[in-house]
Amino acid sequence: MELQGLRLSNLHKYLILIVGLVFFIGPLLWLLSTMLKTPGESLVFPPAWIPDPITFDAFRRLFTNLPMFPRWIFNSFCISVSAVIGTVLSASLVAFGFARTKAKSRHFLFIVLLATLMIPYQITLIPLYILYNNIGWYNTWLPLIVPYFFAGPFYVFLFRQFIMTIPRDVDEATYMDGGNAWTVYSRIIFPMSVPVLITGSIFAFVFSWVDFLTPFIFLQSESKYTLSVGLQLLIGTQSQDYPALAAGSFISILPIALLYFFAQRYFMEGVVLTKTRS
Amino acid sequence: MLQHPGKRGCRMKASAVKEEIKFLLFIFPWLFGFCFLFVTPALQALYYSFTDYNAITEPNWVGLENYEKLLHDKIYWKSLRNTLFFVLIGVPVNLVFQILIANLLNMKLKGIAFFRTFYYLPYLVPAIAVVIIWRIIFSDFGVVNYLLNLVGIESIRWFSEQWIKPVIVLMAMWASGSAVIVFLAALNGIPRYLYEAAKIDGASSLRMFFSITLPMITPAILFSVIIQMIGTFQIFTEPWVLNRGGPNYASYTYGINVYMTAFRDNQFGLAMAQAWLLVVLILIITLILLRSSRKWVYYEGEN
Repeated sequence: MELQGLRLSNLHKYLILIVGLVFFIGPLLWLLSTMLKTPGESLVFPPAWIPDPITFDAFRRLFTNLPMFPRWIFNSFCISVSAVIGTVLSASLVAFGFARTKAKSRHFLFIVLLATLMIPYQITLIPLYILYNNIGWYNTWLPLIVPYFFAGPFYVFLFRQFIMTIPRDVDEATYMDGGNAWTVYSRIIFPMSVPVLITGSIFAFVFSWVDFLTPFIFLQSESKYTLSVGLQLLIGTQSQDYPALAAGSFISILPIALLYFFAQRYFMEGVVLTKTRS
Repeated sequence: MLQHPGKRGCRMKASAVKEEIKFLLFIFPWLFGFCFLFVTPALQALYYSFTDYNAITEPNWVGLENYEKLLHDKIYWKSLRNTLFFVLIGVPVNLVFQILIANLLNMKLKGIAFFRTFYYLPYLVPAIAVVIIWRIIFSDFGVVNYLLNLVGIESIRWFSEQWIKPVIVLMAMWASGSAVIVFLAALNGIPRYLYEAAKIDGASSLRMFFSITLPMITPAILFSVIIQMIGTFQIFTEPWVLNRGGPNYASYTYGINVYMTAFRDNQFGLAMAQAWLLVVLILIITLILLRSSRKWVYYEGEN
């Protein structure tokens, strides 16, 4: 709006927007171009913009040199879906507690919950590593999944913000009919929160999918790796095979990009809901 | 004492207790995780930071020895300096960029939603894929150097000691999407009449930007500064995957140092001292920012 005052013509505005677009999307287009090249062509200088010939051999090399690759995709899916289930079940319950009970301690505990968002992970990482070792969780998926069942603060905050927008009259009506807090939650608030639960699910899926550090610290066997950690192996072993690297990255981006394009509305709403009202 | 059925005060207390119990039942999943996956480990870390714990032998109390060690640990200070580069230079540079992009995307133009969609996308790319993409386009004979050559600039070795930090800042800049949305939301919240009034007074657009837009989005700026400062202090994946914190420790961050101290050197006690110092550092900076915000953040409802 302010830029309008600069007396820029529409043409200029579009030109600026396109420069920005090149910055944000150019690298991704380059990734697409690289993964369709032969290894030789990916290294020529000056670089070729459009692959000639177009070949999908990079994907074949990826899957033959790293036979575990399909497994890692499967692992990542399982873990991310578990993260979604854990988040929806636990965080919605906790958010209901914060939004709808009249307990005095809820104000204080909510500040505590938000404060935990500000504490760096390094502080708990090593004791958790020791703990997981002691209870036999090291080198299993449990450290990657179970914490999602304990209601991450970000999701509690997101869901609570939404529940606060639902009028309390709905609750009152249910109490009149002899319902208790659990009925209000399970019959009224939970179903009414579906839009924000979808938003939360998408974020949980994405954050779990892109997480590198947790699987990197807690997993040891290659067969249990997620895609992120597996891709790191790829960098180590085939650092010069750019098309294969690009193909691997493409596979790691694809599910999220698809999710994004189909559910874009929920992404934006989530960001706005959590960040403008704090 | 409890049996005064006729007194209202007591009944209210009973219902208040019931309400607390109900509340605790609902938040139990969080409370449990908070106690056992957060408070307990954090306190353990504090305790171990005063020991020589190495995960093999029993820990011995060593008092402040770990903290004293860090005073003379050159690598530790290097990692802190590198991280402060990202916090003190990277974060402000990216904030300015994000505010500009948000203003750009706030223009009322046909097809602006298309641009918003694609500007946000890089935020969702896994860090590991970001690193791979960057390694390809910023390689010595990559497309970025080629474009520089076209305009007469010599090729740059982007992953050298000199350039690797700015390249990592650029990676964060590329993934600005989420921060841009925050600023977009803030821009949307500015009442139009402010601009209309300013226009009538003949204010230039630059003047309007600095006198209306910027002050009105200061709450969003404060929020973003704090979030990005905290996130940046913990940066690990990008420099780690790029070059294990190298070359010559040029991208060796605080997070990498904690990791190496613990998992390569088995000096768990020392690593946890580092982790606690980081918490203290972040707390201090957050408090300074919040305190200073009274001077520069505009809250509606005040004058």
